[in-house]
Order: sequence, then C-alpha cells, then structure tokens
Amino acid sequence: MPLKTSDLVVATDSLNKAYQLGDVEVEVLKGITFKVARGEFVAICGPSGSGKTTLLNIISGIDRTTSGKIIVLGEDLTVQDENFLADFRCNHVGFVFQSYNLVSTLTVAENVAFPMEWSRKPEEEVETRVAELLETVGLQHRANHFPAQLSGGEQQRVAFARALANDPELILADEPTGNLDTKNGQKITQMLRTLKANGKTVIVATHDPELMQLADRTVCLEDGRIASLNE
Amino acid sequence: MSKAAFPVNDLVRRRLQTSLTVVTLTLSVASTLFLLLFSRRIGLGITSAGNALTYGLSAVFSQFLLFIGVLIFAVGAVITSFIVFLIMKQRTRDFGLIKAAGCPNGLVFGYFMTELLTVTFLGCVSGVALGFAADFAATSMFQFQAYQATPDLWLAPLVFAAFFVLALIFGTKPMLDAAKVSPIKALSPVQYFGLTTGNKLKPLSRAGLTLKIASRSLFRRQSASVRIVILLSTVFVLLTVSISGGVIANNTSRSWVENAIGSNVVAIAHESMGVQYTQLLAKFSGATENGDFNYLNAELAVPDILLDELEAIQGIETVDARLILKAHIREVSNFTIDPETLATLPVGGSREGDSLIVGVDPQKVTATWSIKGRFLNAEETGEAVIGDSISQTMFSPDPQAGIHFSDPLSQGIRLQNGSFSIVGVCIDPINNGKVAYVSIEKLQNLTGISNANIVLVKLDPAADRSALLAQIKNEVNGVNSAFSVFELEEVLQENLDFLGSVWLTVMFLPLFTLMSAALCLIGYTMLAVEEQRQEFAVLRAMGAKPKTVVTILAVQGLIVLFSSVAVGISLGVIITLMILMPQPLVTSFIIIEIAGWLLAALVGMFLMSLWPAVRFAKKPILKILS
Repeated sequence: MPLKTSDLVVATDSLNKAYQLGDVEVEVLKGITFKVARGEFVAICGPSGSGKTTLLNIISGIDRTTSGKIIVLGEDLTVQDENFLADFRCNHVGFVFQSYNLVSTLTVAENVAFPMEWSRKPEEEVETRVAELLETVGLQHRANHFPAQLSGGEQQRVAFARALANDPELILADEPTGNLDTKNGQKITQMLRTLKANGKTVIVATHDPELMQLADRTVCLEDGRIASLNE
Repeated sequence: MSKAAFPVNDLVRRRLQTSLTVVTLTLSVASTLFLLLFSRRIGLGITSAGNALTYGLSAVFSQFLLFIGVLIFAVGAVITSFIVFLIMKQRTRDFGLIKAAGCPNGLVFGYFMTELLTVTFLGCVSGVALGFAADFAATSMFQFQAYQATPDLWLAPLVFAAFFVLALIFGTKPMLDAAKVSPIKALSPVQYFGLTTGNKLKPLSRAGLTLKIASRSLFRRQSASVRIVILLSTVFVLLTVSISGGVIANNTSRSWVENAIGSNVVAIAHESMGVQYTQLLAKFSGATENGDFNYLNAELAVPDILLDELEAIQGIETVDARLILKAHIREVSNFTIDPETLATLPVGGSREGDSLIVGVDPQKVTATWSIKGRFLNAEETGEAVIGDSISQTMFSPDPQAGIHFSDPLSQGIRLQNGSFSIVGVCIDPINNGKVAYVSIEKLQNLTGISNANIVLVKLDPAADRSALLAQIKNEVNGVNSAFSVFELEEVLQENLDFLGSVWLTVMFLPLFTLMSAALCLIGYTMLAVEEQRQEFAVLRAMGAKPKTVVTILAVQGLIVLFSSVAVGISLGVIITLMILMPQPLVTSFIIIEIAGWLLAALVGMFLMSLWPAVRFAKKPILKILS
C-alpha cells in the first residue's frame, strides 16, 4: 500500500468524537484541528478524560471520528474500510499502549515478530529484525519467555520493540511511562529519545514532565478541546 | 440489594450466556427424556415380534436402541456437566471482584448458588416440557402413529432429578474452587480459566501464527478443552453408532429380506393360496393372513403338467415347487458330554409350537437366505432349516422350564411322525420367521400329498419381463384358470420400506443430542472469545483483520472437532461392527453414505460454532478493549 509522500504526517480538521452511552451522548473530542510534520516529536497532555487516548486511537485508525477530517500519511482515514485500516496500522503505525497489551499466548520474540509476519516479510528478515530489536530494548535473553513471566517494565520494552517491528513512519505512545517505576520510565524515555534522534515522527500522550521536555511541542487538551499549543 | 435481586439481575444482564445455558440444558434434558419416551415406544413396538418383523431382526433393533439409549444418557450427563462448568468457570473473575469489594464469602457463594439453581431449574423444567412435546409431535407423525400410547409419566421426575443433581454437582465444584481462591488470585489472568504458561508448548512454536495462538489458547484452558473433547467424542460415538450402525444395519437387514424373498421372482398358485402366501410374506410389515386357511385343500395342488410347461419356457431360470402347510412341531432334544466332568448334559427340551412348514427341493430354491449353519442337502431328506423366530422361541435356554442348554444346530424337530435334524437357522420374513424348511419329498411322504401347492419362478433378468409374464400367465390359464401369477416384488418392496422406516426412526433419535452438542460447541467458542477478547483486540489494534480473529477461533473449533471425531468415530465403528452388527454388509457405497452423513454433522457443527466468532469479529476494537 504505497502512501503519498508529504511533509505532513498528521493533519486533523474540526475533528469531533462522541460516544453514545445509553440515552446520553458524551462528546470526547470537540473541533480538534492540528498538524504534525515529518520527524516531529509531539506530546499530548491534559487531565484524565480530556480525550488524549481517543485522539491517539483516531490517529492510529483504531477508532473513527464522528465528524471532521483526519489525514494520516496522506490517507484520509475517515473514508477507509476496516481491512485498509488493519493494513495501515500494521505497516505504517507503531502503537505503544499504556497497559502494554502483549499477546499472552506468544513468546517475547513472537510478539515482536507477528506484525512482520502479517506484512509477509521473509522469515530470515523477521528473525534478524527481532534479534536486532530485542537487543535494542535489552531483552534478547528473554526472547523465549511468555509475557506473564516478565515485569511491567520489560513488557513495555517488548511493546516498544513490537511497535517498531515494521519500521513505521509514525509512532504513537499512550502514557508509555504511566505504569512504570522511575528506573523503567527512564529506560522508555531513553528509547523515545533515540527514536527522535533517528528522525521518527512520534506522538506521545503523557503526564510525564521528562517526556514533555523531550517534545518539540506540546498539545494540551482540556474537556475534549485544544487548550494550548506550545511550540 | 436483596439476596435474590443480585443473582436475578445478574442473570438478566448476561442475557446471552444465561439463555445459551438454559437452552442447552433444556435441549439436553429434552433429548434424554424424548429418547427414553420414544425409544421405549418404538422399542416395545419393534420388539413385539408377534405382530411384525422376526425375532432375529427385533434383537438387532433392540440392541441398537438399548445402546443408543445408554449413549444418549451419557451424552446428556456430559453436556450438563460441561455447560454448568462453563457458566461457573466464567464467573471466577466476578467472584474475585465481589470478594475484593468486601462481600463475605458465604454471601458470594449464596449469590452464585442462587444463579446456578435458577438456571438449572429453568433448564430442567423446560427440558421436561419440551421432551414431552417432542414425543407427542413425533408420535403424531404419520410414520410413527403405530407407536402411539400413553407416555410413561414417571420418566419426567426421574430425568428431572438426574439432571438437576448432575448440574448441581458439576456446577458447585468450580464454585467451591473459586470460593477458596483469594480475591487477588481470582482476578489474576493466570487464575482465570486455569491459564498457564509453559515451555511444554514449544513443539508448536514453529507453526504459523494463527495455529500457534489457537493451539496455545486451547492448552491454556485445558480443563474446558478436555471437557468439550470428551463431550464431543461421546456425541460422535453416538452419531457413528446411530448413523453408520443405522445405514449398515438397514442395508444388511434389507439384503437379508431381499435374499430370503428373492428378487425377480413370481409365485404361481391357486388364487386363494397366492393371496395367503403374499399375506404370510407381508406379515413382516404388519399384514394378517387367514388363520383358518386349509393348505391341504386338493384344489390348491399344482398340476405336474404346469411344472413341465414352466420348465420348458425360455427366460425362466428356476422353477421352485413348494408344498406349504401349517403344522404343530415339537422340539427334539439331544445330549452332550461335559468336557470337565464327563457327565451327560441334556440339550433342549420338548417344547411345542405351530410353524409354517415349507417343503422345497434343495436344488431348485429361488432364495439365498442369510443362514447360521447351512441349507438343506439334496441327498439327505431328514434335515430342516428353521426360521430365526422358531429358533429364539423354541430353541433358546429356558431355566424356568429346566432347560439350561439349547442349541438348535445340535437338535431337531418332530413333525407328525417324522424327525428332522436342524442344519441351519435362517432369517426369513415369511410368517415372521416362524417357519421350517424341509425336503418336499419327505413332507409329501409324511402328509400323503403328492403335489406342490405353490410354485416360485425366478425370471431371467435379461429376458423381456412383460412378454415373459404374459407367456407364463397364458400357460397357467391354459392349465387351470383358477390359478394366477402373483408378483412378489411389491411385497418385497413393502417389507423393505417398512424396514427402512424403522431404521429411520432409530437414526432420528440422536438429532436432539446433536443440537445440544452444537450449542455446547457454541458455548465453548464463546468461552474462547471471552477469554481471548483482550488478546484479539490487541491483535486487531496491531493490524490483524477481523477474518484473522475468526480464523484463530475456527482453528480452535477444528482442533476440538477433529480430536473428538477421531476418538468418537473410531470407537463408534468398533462398537457398531464388533458388537452390534454381526456379519455386516459394508460396500463402498455404504462407506460413502456414512462418511457423507458424518461429514454433514461435522460441517454443520463447525459452521454453527463460528457464529460467536463472526459476531465478535464485527465488533469495533475499542468496544472489545473497553
């Protein structure tokens, strides 16, 4: 799936998202308009329930908008079907969840490998890439362990390795240090720093001051709206 | 919140799971009750051989019914245990949550016990009602109207109690286990569904991603997986026994009847004798012959000239002249030596009864019976071959009459002043198997009647049938206009149709069980969905398409089904061929027919089991994750 080249990786225009909870409609995002350029590191901040996770979910193609426009890597995600979005997530976006979300039936190595297997990469390439990524996150000795046998920090590092497996143009991380202790949080921050240095486009939803300092700019959400844009 | 409000509200909120459990329990109870009621009806109907069939065939049917009945009860028990295990196992997490919130252990137990009792009671009551309704509906159908009778009401409390107790035993066990677990453990994914990790699953690590996830998940919830495999294996044993047994036994028994009557055979006799003969043959399917018929009436005698003329017609393969009469016969006992004590032991007694006696020329018979022993020898006139009903009624051990050993093949029969040693026992539909074949020569000597009273003629299948029949009728009319030609094909067809309908009834029995097993498989897939929902959401979020999720669940379903099929069908075939059906007739067509039925059941169950998977795959990722 070749994507159109452009300097803009993410562009949203009057993006709205509402959920129906019984008879009540809850507006989570209200008129979000912002852009992220190639190679930018953007931190999204805001209190709980401000819409950070929803915004990341929409950018990754996991969730859909209620109205408004969102173009990611040149593709208008509002008009794509589920199969396109699946391929899109697999090949062009790396997502790191706050709660790691590793597949419990797969080993560490298999967890890192499966996005590449879906992209039908040759077996040798997959093996080499898995070894390289596990070395990067310092978990090569844990390759054959199952997620339940890892600590939280280790699981988050595996989740990072998995997000980078297909060398995506865009990396999204939802509170990646939120569940970790200081030491493990620093490891994750270091990994994000490396990604920034390598020119990757990164959007991180976070409360972590260290991560916000690392960002080129910060988008603050409040009650579903952009409260401030700090360059 | 009152004690009763929580369980009731909880059951109502979890509508799908609650209805699935109640429906499966209902079907399980209903199928068992229906089968007990229905098989009792048709079992009694079939085994009352005085009205239809022969004793040998009745024995085969009864054996099948008994075996299927036992299997169905076993399946019902396994299904019940599985479904209550499933519903309670799914609640382990809730148990932990409620305990973690500070609810006392006894109260939590009370909540879930109330739920179990409610679901079980509803399932059992509606099962009993549905069982009676199904029995009523089945016996109202045209084909089974003959079996109508008042249902055995005592079966209702029996089945209700059996299943209620089973459900409580199997449902309480996982509940007690969950109650013993601390809240932290109950909430842990490792405790949930007996989840285990381990390197013992490494052999599958080289398999594809889909197979890897599917097989490891199966291993992870091994207690549920083992239960569903046991359940489906039992169902497939039942299916194999009823389908393959039904098909093989149907074909085998049809061939017995077909061979005994003979195909392409017509009877030539005096009008009244011809009618009597066809009624004796059709007695097998419920017809009644004239009890006062005088077989020795001189008018019935077949003129020798007619036999000569029939022999001369081209296109006739065999002319089988028979002397048929009804007579009183007596069992002739024998003696044997006990090999250990060398004592002389009596074999048989002096039992008496009425039988149809058929005198034949052994070299000219038109039929080829299924015989234990051998047919008459042309050189030896003192031999007899008896029907299976005579064998079962007059030549089986009867301890009450002091007869401990009996073996027709080492005994004989006495007819008027003549004795015949029995050399074979055959399956013959005529007179419901109450028949004895002897040499026509000796029978004529004994009765003083020199002529046959019926002629069976086997036509050459290559000949022009209608032209040949016209020629035969012409010759018969020319000799004696009171004589007619009787087609036996119609009687044969009637008998075969009757046999077919009885076997269809037997095969109809496991349908309910198949339905409840399919629902259990759906329940198992729902358990898999429930357990793996987080995992599937992650896979979808990382780029898996909805069909990947369906494929993983389908692979799990196939692994479970194939494991069960392998065990179930092997056992079913062994039971059918080795125990239930001696000397089976198995042709390649029959194998294809059985394979087709079993494959249809397999595919049907598999497709039904995919329903929760397809439904789940359509859900948005965030809805799954939430």
